[in-house]
Amino acid sequence: MATTDTGQAGAGFDWLGFLARWGTLISLVLLIVIFSLARPEVFPTLRNTLNILNQVSILGIIALGLTVCLVVGLFDLSIGAMATFGGYFAARFLAELGMESGWVVLGAVLAVLILAMAIGMINGALVSYLGISAIVETLAMSFIVTGVILGVSGARTVYSSDMPESFQIIGQGVVLGIPNPILIMIATAVVLWIFLEHTQPGRNMYAIGGNREAARLSGINFQKYALVAMAISAACAALGGLVAAANLGSGRPQGVGETYLLNAFVAVFIGASTLRPGKFHVFGTAVGVLLIGVINNGLSVMGVATYWQYIVQGLILILALISASMNSVRRA
Amino acid sequence: MTAEATEFTRQEAAGSETPVLGVRGLRKEFPGTLALDDVSLEVRRGEIHALLGENGAGKSTLIKCVCGAYAATAGEVRIESRPVNFATPRGAVEAGIAVVHQHFNLVPTLNVAENLWLGEDLPRRMGLVDWPKAHARARDILDYVGLDISTDAQITALRADHVAMISIAKAVASDAKIIILDEPTTALLPHEVETLFVQMRRLAQEGHSFLYVSHRLAEVFEIADRATVLRDGRNAGTFERATMDRASVIEAIVGRRGELSGRKSGSHMRESVAMEAEGLSGGGAENVSLTLHQGEILGVAGLPGSGAEDVLSLMFGRIRRRAGTIRKGEAELRLQEPADAIAAGIAYVPADRLAESVFHAESIRTNITMPSLARYLRDPILHLVNRAAEAREGKAVAERMRVRMPGIETAIDDLSGGNQQKVILGRWLSTGAQVFLLNAPTAAVDVGAKAEIYDLIEELAGEGAAILFTSTELEEYPVICDRVLVFFRGRVAGALTGDQVTEQNIMTLAAGGALDDGDD
Repeated sequence: MATTDTGQAGAGFDWLGFLARWGTLISLVLLIVIFSLARPEVFPTLRNTLNILNQVSILGIIALGLTVCLVVGLFDLSIGAMATFGGYFAARFLAELGMESGWVVLGAVLAVLILAMAIGMINGALVSYLGISAIVETLAMSFIVTGVILGVSGARTVYSSDMPESFQIIGQGVVLGIPNPILIMIATAVVLWIFLEHTQPGRNMYAIGGNREAARLSGINFQKYALVAMAISAACAALGGLVAAANLGSGRPQGVGETYLLNAFVAVFIGASTLRPGKFHVFGTAVGVLLIGVINNGLSVMGVATYWQYIVQGLILILALISASMNSVRRA
Repeated sequence: MTAEATEFTRQEAAGSETPVLGVRGLRKEFPGTLALDDVSLEVRRGEIHALLGENGAGKSTLIKCVCGAYAATAGEVRIESRPVNFATPRGAVEAGIAVVHQHFNLVPTLNVAENLWLGEDLPRRMGLVDWPKAHARARDILDYVGLDISTDAQITALRADHVAMISIAKAVASDAKIIILDEPTTALLPHEVETLFVQMRRLAQEGHSFLYVSHRLAEVFEIADRATVLRDGRNAGTFERATMDRASVIEAIVGRRGELSGRKSGSHMRESVAMEAEGLSGGGAENVSLTLHQGEILGVAGLPGSGAEDVLSLMFGRIRRRAGTIRKGEAELRLQEPADAIAAGIAYVPADRLAESVFHAESIRTNITMPSLARYLRDPILHLVNRAAEAREGKAVAERMRVRMPGIETAIDDLSGGNQQKVILGRWLSTGAQVFLLNAPTAAVDVGAKAEIYDLIEELAGEGAAILFTSTELEEYPVICDRVLVFFRGRVAGALTGDQVTEQNIMTLAAGGALDDGDD
């Protein structure tokens, strides 16, 4: 991992730099300690740990995809709609086919992910070739996708009775005691970590996000990578929605993705002020996602009213952003 | 501007020989440098007075002191013989000093009338803006300065010279005693400059006074009644129109040192041609042909906007080519994007290091290997990067470029400007480039680093690399270049070789003059 040590010799201990780097990780550890001391019999158990991970797994998959997009400097607001898209269409395809075969399920899942990638590439093409603002374009795309889902579904949910068992295993099964959604989240994180940190395309994406003109003058094609980044983001969102549908045993045409959209941004931005201030990265996003999961789980285990979850989450995001901006001010 | 109709013509001041603007003994110290040393300047009523000098000669510091952006260390500024002492730009405006900047102080999304009223209290009627009156008043001003455009026109839809005139009209309407024009013609086409000058002359006859700052000598000879030259923060001469001849003005600007400074000794130039351009047009460059030999350091010089830098951008595929051919060796290059040029073995260092070259918050290693990353891959499918090989290369380049750094993983932002530039130059050693297009590689680096960068460029040339070089400082060309092509208005105005490469000769050609007779 690239170190960005500012090494201020002789200036005493650099508290701001330390907090900008370690603040979110320290908050995470502190919260875990506090909740463990408050409810030692409930919070720090294997069961609850798996529970937390399971609760954040779908958010995690979506936020990891969003990380790739933000690395190249593009906002993707269509991830909410794409999550709904993935969940509904995977369920609907399988309900229409009505076949139990695992291969059919695998085929349907791949088909949905490829469709999602195609939509992401349309986003990328509009944003990079036509120079439209990514925020506005992906917002528009999310309206279109939402509209298509509502039109196709007639606002009717696909229920578990219509879905093959083998599909629901994706969201409900357990391997070696670990629920599948957690395994899928971990696999996504590992793949994207290798991609961003250790492959040439990933490194080129960081270059584009860091300085687009310098990247162009180094021979890196922004258009191509905008397409790839938006496709990854859309595919991860669809995968997250699909896992959610399999987990709940219902392919809902509305009200799925919206809940993840804002939390995914919160997690990724918390991540951008972890260890490498100002940069989006997979490890940081994982910390952001865990922080959200620990706050929500811990507060509810302690019996605190739900509204506190929002307030604490908001406060931590603000603190994370302040420490990140303090760090950039200091650098400049 | 005020809502009452007034006569715009400037009244004769009592005792018409008192200068409108008098600067005497102005001194401005910055920590560690003396930017202005005992500078004096007088602008008479109804005069167009040019202020000339090289980059860093003190022109902008002088203007900033006059308009209140900087507080002078010593000396005085008088407006119509009244000493003025303003701590803020607002005070300068109230004293009657108006500055029209290069980029004109207008809001592009507002219309002409709204821009003319910007910063003033609009006329009101029953508490609401009286737009008919505001437009009528704007119309009067436009008529006075001779601008035949609608007050409803959007600034973005106007010709560049009209935009410049609106800025001047704003100054006239604010009853400014002296209008300072800072490089007003940079964005203007030649015929637009002409119409601007016609209006300026007329306004000068009506009693308005101008201080005109420009790089473009040809324009100064055309428009200025008098000229003051600054060099190294001191007065280097004041010229009356009658005695203004090109040779002495240029000598005042560059001084004698141009001829004396270290002319480069040897040349590494070889017979074989590295790269050729023929009839190349694009950006501000028109029909440029050049031949670059292996081992040659070829300078392209010209004033800002002359098209010199655009030749480098064209040869790197950074800007679109309208016409012409580019050949490297036997092959004709059809460059669409910088990636094509890099693949063909061409390197490019842009002028603005921080905005265009540096990958901020990334390590020195990353900054070096970014364009050559494809060389350190483990496999052809996943494109996994071999971090160890990459680090070895980064280290080797940093050592070769003599980058002073704590380590290869240090963030590039923590290096000095000169060391950053060595990293930027070094990244092209790993791509196997044989042609280096260096746009102002020594801009904004300190003197020591400058010398090191010269040495590195010489080394590259010694190994047979072909180098195209520009600089913001004319004195660098004689030090480093084998040959210099000087640009004027998009075209090659002349080629200088050997002892002909002097600051004076470059300046003369860049200003549109001819070499043999100093005055045209």
